[in-house]
Amino acid sequence: MNAPTSDPALRRAVVLGAVVFAVVAPAVLSNYLRSLAADALISGMIVLSLVVLTGLVGQISFCQYSFAALGAFTVGSLVAGHHWSFWMALIVGTAFAAAGGVLVGIPALRLSGLFLAILTVAVALFFDRFLLAPGTWNAFSGGVEPWRPARPSIAGISLDGSYAFYLFVLAVFLLTSLLVWNLRRGKVGRVLRAIRGSELAAATVGLDLTAWKLAAFGVSAGLAGLAGGLSAVAVGSVSAGSYDFLHSVSVAAVAIVMGVGTVASAAAGGLFLAFGPWLLQHTPLSTQYFNLIVGGLLVLQLVFTPQGLVAHNEQLVLAWRARILARRRAADVSAPPDDLDRPPATDELVTSTEASA
Amino acid sequence: MALLEVEHVSVRFGGVQALDDVSLTLNRGEILGLIGPNGAGKTTLFNCLSGVQRPTSGRVRFEGRSVDGLKPNRRARLGLARTFQNLQLFSDLTVLENLMVPVDAFSPRGLVADGLRLPRARIEERRADERARAVLHFLGIGSLATTPAGGLPVGLQRRVELGRALCLRPKLLLLDEPAAGLDAGETAGLAALLSRVRERFSTSMLLVDHDMALVMRACEHIYVLDYGRVIASGAPSVVRDDSRVVQAYLGRGAA
Repeated sequence: MNAPTSDPALRRAVVLGAVVFAVVAPAVLSNYLRSLAADALISGMIVLSLVVLTGLVGQISFCQYSFAALGAFTVGSLVAGHHWSFWMALIVGTAFAAAGGVLVGIPALRLSGLFLAILTVAVALFFDRFLLAPGTWNAFSGGVEPWRPARPSIAGISLDGSYAFYLFVLAVFLLTSLLVWNLRRGKVGRVLRAIRGSELAAATVGLDLTAWKLAAFGVSAGLAGLAGGLSAVAVGSVSAGSYDFLHSVSVAAVAIVMGVGTVASAAAGGLFLAFGPWLLQHTPLSTQYFNLIVGGLLVLQLVFTPQGLVAHNEQLVLAWRARILARRRAADVSAPPDDLDRPPATDELVTSTEASA
Repeated sequence: MALLEVEHVSVRFGGVQALDDVSLTLNRGEILGLIGPNGAGKTTLFNCLSGVQRPTSGRVRFEGRSVDGLKPNRRARLGLARTFQNLQLFSDLTVLENLMVPVDAFSPRGLVADGLRLPRARIEERRADERARAVLHFLGIGSLATTPAGGLPVGLQRRVELGRALCLRPKLLLLDEPAAGLDAGETAGLAALLSRVRERFSTSMLLVDHDMALVMRACEHIYVLDYGRVIASGAPSVVRDDSRVVQAYLGRGAA
């Protein structure tokens, strides 16, 4: 069966609706829930960084929060310790993280799969034990720790308010999503997917594998660093515990559950990471069970919907729509039959399984 | 001046001598055949030419320039394209996208132009699309443009690989067993297609196959490899009757 392909008009409507909802809905939320929503967007950007690395080149990473830490610690140190402008610090932090990504990318050039996963685990643990350990950054601290970088203001509007800050983070999230969307559908996406498909063939049609893979690592880590820089002012203080290995593992797991093939899964993954634990507080289970649930979902997802939940649901919606259109057309006798590209309706599947039973 | 000169190339894998002092010359505009039984070293020689395998000794010259030590992507840029015996399509990409990738490889646009979707990116996207579609149309597979390449039957996948190589606008096309997995009718069609490709793209070809019928029909000059050595070379009619060639293919008793 050919899966129904995407429908631009439907997609545009869904994206527009989601953006309007994302702008309006938090206006009526409490301050606490608004800050959770901002967290969701920041986590979403880290999922987005995996959409580039895992979704396009097929490389796995368990150290995305280490790159985020580079962004966060740079912003914390420069803004709180050395009174830099937040914007300059954010740019430097993002560039720093991107450079870190390229550096990790170099030993990763010849690795993939399990061995690359182990390399990134080693990087994350190195960050946890050394770079993020208390005292490492003393030389750069400017004498104040923990850093409490102040939020910036845009054109005189302070981002201290939770709604203003949320809207700012939303804007950054949407811009980076657009960036990744553009990369995916253009030459860059095609080239990276080609490299994932066959490195041998990609090299013999003239692609410089080294340059492209390092670029993917750099962009991915830069996105994570940007998210980290935002998180530094979202929380208000920078602490190593927010960027440890376990965070990297759960974001990787959530990215895989949602499906790294689509930009939309970044939003879904972010919402899940931020609001999942909050929802659990309102059940008899405690938030400790969150990672257990992520792990369980990962197993179920790998077995039942290997493309990820977001892509799977998109196809369900498209199939459902195609069925309605086909039914409408069947009622209209003059319409030409075009059953060829219509996915089999579920009732056909049901009758065929019943027949075989 | 010859387009491709292979001088005394040898490759050893541990105790196995895959290529033993192979020399050959390919002239511009020529379709040169390279035949030999399985394991004769044909694919190894191809890998040496496209830069995938480094020869233990010997030299390769392309358009008079030494290409020794150049990586595959640099050789592709010089105009050396190849197909693969065991198909190496980008199976997640559509047929059209497979053919756009080589055009992409030559276009200078990168992360910034694509990420911000600058006008330059759109123009080059359209150009790549047009070039790829023109080649698809020439090969008679225009209707497959949006089909994922991985699901196609072997014969069509070989044709897509040929198209992908042609999108590089190669000066020399290295074809590694293009007839493998094709039936007799398709093989006859392939020989005609290759001569049309030579006309249209003014490219030279090195054709490796053990399908004698195809090589005899398509090539003016043939080299025969056996156990890593060139055992005969010449016009098809000469090579066909050479006793060493008959021996290599049919065994000693047949000669």
